[in-house]
Amino acid sequence: MTMLKIFAGFLSTRANRFALALFLAIVTLLTGTALLAVSGWFLTAASLAAITHSVGGFDLFSPSAAIRGLALLRIVSRYCEQLYGHDATIALLGDLRIWLFKHLTTLIPLGPRRLRGGDLAARLTADIDRLDTVFLLAISPILALMAATALAVIVFHAFLPQASLVFGAITLVVGALLPLAMAWIGRPLGETTVMACADLRTSIIDAVEGHCDLVAFAAVARARAALFKQAERLSRAHVAQSGLTSLAAILTQAGGGLALMAVLWPGPGALDAEALSGPVLVAAVLVVFGLFEMTAPIARGIAKLGNALAATRRLDEIALMSPRLCDPASPAHLTNDRTVTFENVCFDYGRGRRVLQEVSLTIEAGRHVALIGESGSGKSTLIHLLLRLVDLQGGAIRIGGVDIRQVTQSELHRSIALLAQDDPVFLGTIRDNLLIGDPRADAAKLYRVLAAVKLKSFVETLPSGLDTWLGEAGHTLSAGQARRLCLARVLLSPAPILALDEPTSGLDRETERALLQDLAIAAKGRGVLIATHADLPPGVVDRVFRLSNGRLNPA
Amino acid sequence: MTRLSESDRTSQSVRLNATQRRWLTRLARHGRVALLVAFAAPLIGGLLLIIQAHELSGLLSAAIIDGARRAALATPLLIVAGLIVTRSVLTGLGEFAGAIAAERVKRDLRDVLFRNLMAYKADRVRSLASGAIAGAMIEHVEALDGYVSRYLPSLIAAALLPVAFAVAIMPVDVIVGLLLLATAPLIPLFMALTGWGAQAASRRHLDAFSRLSGLFVDRLRGLTTLKLHGRAQAQAELIKKTGDELGRRILAVLRIAFLSSTVLEFFSALAVAGVALYVGLSLLGSIDLRDSPMTLATGLFCLLMAPAFFAPLRQLAAHYHDGAAAKAAVTALDELFDGLPAFSSAGDAPENAIVHRQGAATLQIRNLTVTAPDRAGTVLDTVSLDAEPGRLIAILGTSGVGKSTLLEAIRGLRTIEAGEVSIDAKPLADFSPHDLARRVAWLGQHPHIMAATIAQNIRLARPRASDEEVARAARDARVSDFADTLPDGLDTCLGERGLGLSGGELQRIALARIYLCDPGLVLLDEPTAHLDPQTEARVIDGIMAFSHGRTVIVATHSARLAACADETFRLSRGHLSPVHARVAKPILREGV
Repeated sequence: MTMLKIFAGFLSTRANRFALALFLAIVTLLTGTALLAVSGWFLTAASLAAITHSVGGFDLFSPSAAIRGLALLRIVSRYCEQLYGHDATIALLGDLRIWLFKHLTTLIPLGPRRLRGGDLAARLTADIDRLDTVFLLAISPILALMAATALAVIVFHAFLPQASLVFGAITLVVGALLPLAMAWIGRPLGETTVMACADLRTSIIDAVEGHCDLVAFAAVARARAALFKQAERLSRAHVAQSGLTSLAAILTQAGGGLALMAVLWPGPGALDAEALSGPVLVAAVLVVFGLFEMTAPIARGIAKLGNALAATRRLDEIALMSPRLCDPASPAHLTNDRTVTFENVCFDYGRGRRVLQEVSLTIEAGRHVALIGESGSGKSTLIHLLLRLVDLQGGAIRIGGVDIRQVTQSELHRSIALLAQDDPVFLGTIRDNLLIGDPRADAAKLYRVLAAVKLKSFVETLPSGLDTWLGEAGHTLSAGQARRLCLARVLLSPAPILALDEPTSGLDRETERALLQDLAIAAKGRGVLIATHADLPPGVVDRVFRLSNGRLNPA
Repeated sequence: MTRLSESDRTSQSVRLNATQRRWLTRLARHGRVALLVAFAAPLIGGLLLIIQAHELSGLLSAAIIDGARRAALATPLLIVAGLIVTRSVLTGLGEFAGAIAAERVKRDLRDVLFRNLMAYKADRVRSLASGAIAGAMIEHVEALDGYVSRYLPSLIAAALLPVAFAVAIMPVDVIVGLLLLATAPLIPLFMALTGWGAQAASRRHLDAFSRLSGLFVDRLRGLTTLKLHGRAQAQAELIKKTGDELGRRILAVLRIAFLSSTVLEFFSALAVAGVALYVGLSLLGSIDLRDSPMTLATGLFCLLMAPAFFAPLRQLAAHYHDGAAAKAAVTALDELFDGLPAFSSAGDAPENAIVHRQGAATLQIRNLTVTAPDRAGTVLDTVSLDAEPGRLIAILGTSGVGKSTLLEAIRGLRTIEAGEVSIDAKPLADFSPHDLARRVAWLGQHPHIMAATIAQNIRLARPRASDEEVARAARDARVSDFADTLPDGLDTCLGERGLGLSGGELQRIALARIYLCDPGLVLLDEPTAHLDPQTEARVIDGIMAFSHGRTVIVATHSARLAACADETFRLSRGHLSPVHARVAKPILREGV
């Protein structure tokens, strides 16, 4: 229940707002109930006064003033209650969303990916939003009903001692215990709903991204059938949940009837014994009616409470994950020496696939080194090791003699800029994408870098230039253009070392050649490790190494 | 990164037009019998409430005024108890039926939306963010739940029950009946005023929600990149800002939605207070507007019915934003998918359609013109090309010039501005989707890799392929080169988007899919990108072997692959021009 603890923590930081919302909920319930009770009392008292001909002495002013005052108070407190309750909840959800995003950031690099992307997105949006029901639909109505009931029991105790306890017990069961039990029973259903929803989302995203392939292989009907099955699974879970909710609604309403009987049954006897007056009996009946209005929203909230509990459990999975990499307690600092050395580096993916065997390599500061080799020969792995995206199993990697495991991740990231094979183009403008490399860069600098990656003339032909919006995954750019944009982003980074994994994939030979030459100039003075299949024009790199069968040799 | 979308469309009108209203009504009919039960249950419950109030007020009056004993009161007590139980069962039954109706509607709508989406051309799908589509198909469709299960039943109850209650009160006390009836017409007016605002605000909320989920999918996918650039913190701020904006929008919806319920609270509270004072004063004789003297039973009945009169309306107000959210969702769906989907029973064509032609295909392209929305000018400008059966044609050209577009247009994945593509002398439009898929194989630059095993990914092309066939395709596409080094071989599970494999390896898996088919025309977009020269040579061998007896169009930067072509064309500024072998070869060889 880690997530609940975190949730409670955020709840307490906004305790004032929630207390206010709860207070208003209690006031609303009490004023509404009191309005009915006073009205009933007034009617009955007036009727009795008329019968006993004591109309002259009847105090008309106080009850009518109370009725008007309560009516007004109820309207105002109801509006404020709803507004403050939602305001507090929304603020809380914002806190949670950011907490999770930051938590995830600390978990990067995830190593062997433990979570699917679409699933993650679903957790961060839908699951967190599901938690809003915990306060608004469960905690607040239940607490308000319990508070008002406690007050009612105390008042009843003076007139109908035996009925008051029965009434209190029934309300406690119907208003609090039953809903909580139902939510607990419904928890697996809530979990099913949330999972079905997340699966459906993943499938849709999958199908949209694979649209061309599905069409090309006539696999659309299959995808549709699979999706329909998932939609049906979600539907079934929803139906089961509403079955539970409907049952809860029946039980709570019937419970209201029972509570009414608890008051009505001993009523006539108490009237006879003159333990209570007619007006008070009517008021008591109406109090029951007033309080039990609250059970309808409680019953409705049960399914949502189940959903929230399931979402909490799923979020727990993320909350409980600890970072794969932790910064050392007393981190070392990199010196001004930017020489990168790989010393007898070993790595395999565990399952018998030896990728790197005792690889040693030195890249002097400012030197450009190329890695070549068949695809899958371990070039990307070597680069990932340098950034600690994966952990080496033997040997060491040092920058200026300092082991990279001794410095903080952020210092390492500041020293090395990576162009990975799957670097994304982000939803946003061309400028937005570039500023990730250097948030302070001005337009002139951006165009200088765009010129180096041979994108300047293209961007200049666009009507909105740097402010051109790029669709999801940069699909409005060709693969080669997207690649060059990512390269430009890396070149903008002030890091003294660049690690470039296939910087020219997707480019034609002429562009590739020209780009590599410009790259050498743009990266002058910085250490460069470049993994490539391209034919390297002379002067681009100082040395070339070939990786094959896990060994590195000068090419 | 402060903006989230090109245009903020929130200022647009959210009232439904006639077509949208008709569509929503037709949609609800999918609920069938369950919907009728959901409509009827609250009405019957309401009528029983009149009897309950009558019995209860009589009972109280008998006990207080007449001093009746408990024994005499047992029957009315039991009746009241029975009515309460019956009404609670009716309420639960109505809710459950409404939920069933809503589920039917949502499930069918999701299916139809997906079917239509898959029928789109690739350029149209790409112009939509996948996160936003998923958001629409889940959240927008979910927004219709409340409309069917709660809003519609409460709308019918609100239209009928108050009138029935007023009619029931009328014989008991004309003044109270008239008073209630007089206030009733005001309520829809107030609610309409506040409802319109709620709907506009709700639309803004949905917009923000779909943009936020689009942004989330996008940023999460690139979280590693962001962290390595030290920008994760800044992106967290952006998401916070977006979330806050969403929060503000939701609050704007609610502020107005709550106003509409407050109007009802106002009337309800006023009615209770008014009836209490009127009845009280009548009992005391201070006002005398009745023919017969007011009794306690009459007074209590009026007092119990006063809040009941407003209850259906309050219920409607509580669900008003369900209605408004549904209308906003309909508008959003209409806009995102460019029209609301028609519900037709037509299923997909059967998978095993008869293939009429075998062997190499002829391809004829006439004056093909294709434009891209975000790129200046046309991508392809009256391009014509003839491919004889069995020829291998290479298309060269600088990156971004439109080679991929050409191949997609030939496959029928693109919206074509003008011109025609014919395969086997038959226009593309005359092919059924399945015939086209059988006849033409297409390998894109971003092959879609599912989170499944390598073998399952290859089987996408032909689910019923045998293990041997898959293994052979994997061998020919050089997938086995790397798969064999994995302990689980072809049964190795790939992460989302093929995580764990390099770009070249994923491309080869996609190539293996093609090898599982038996097409007459093969379209290959950069089949050897991301490959080192040795692997490239082996992959080209495989392509050449597969090309035998087929027509092949390949877009490539690879000189080696181009050198294998029977004909070579260069695409430049939207035009296709032949590259003469004598000129081409030396240029191409230079790079090898």
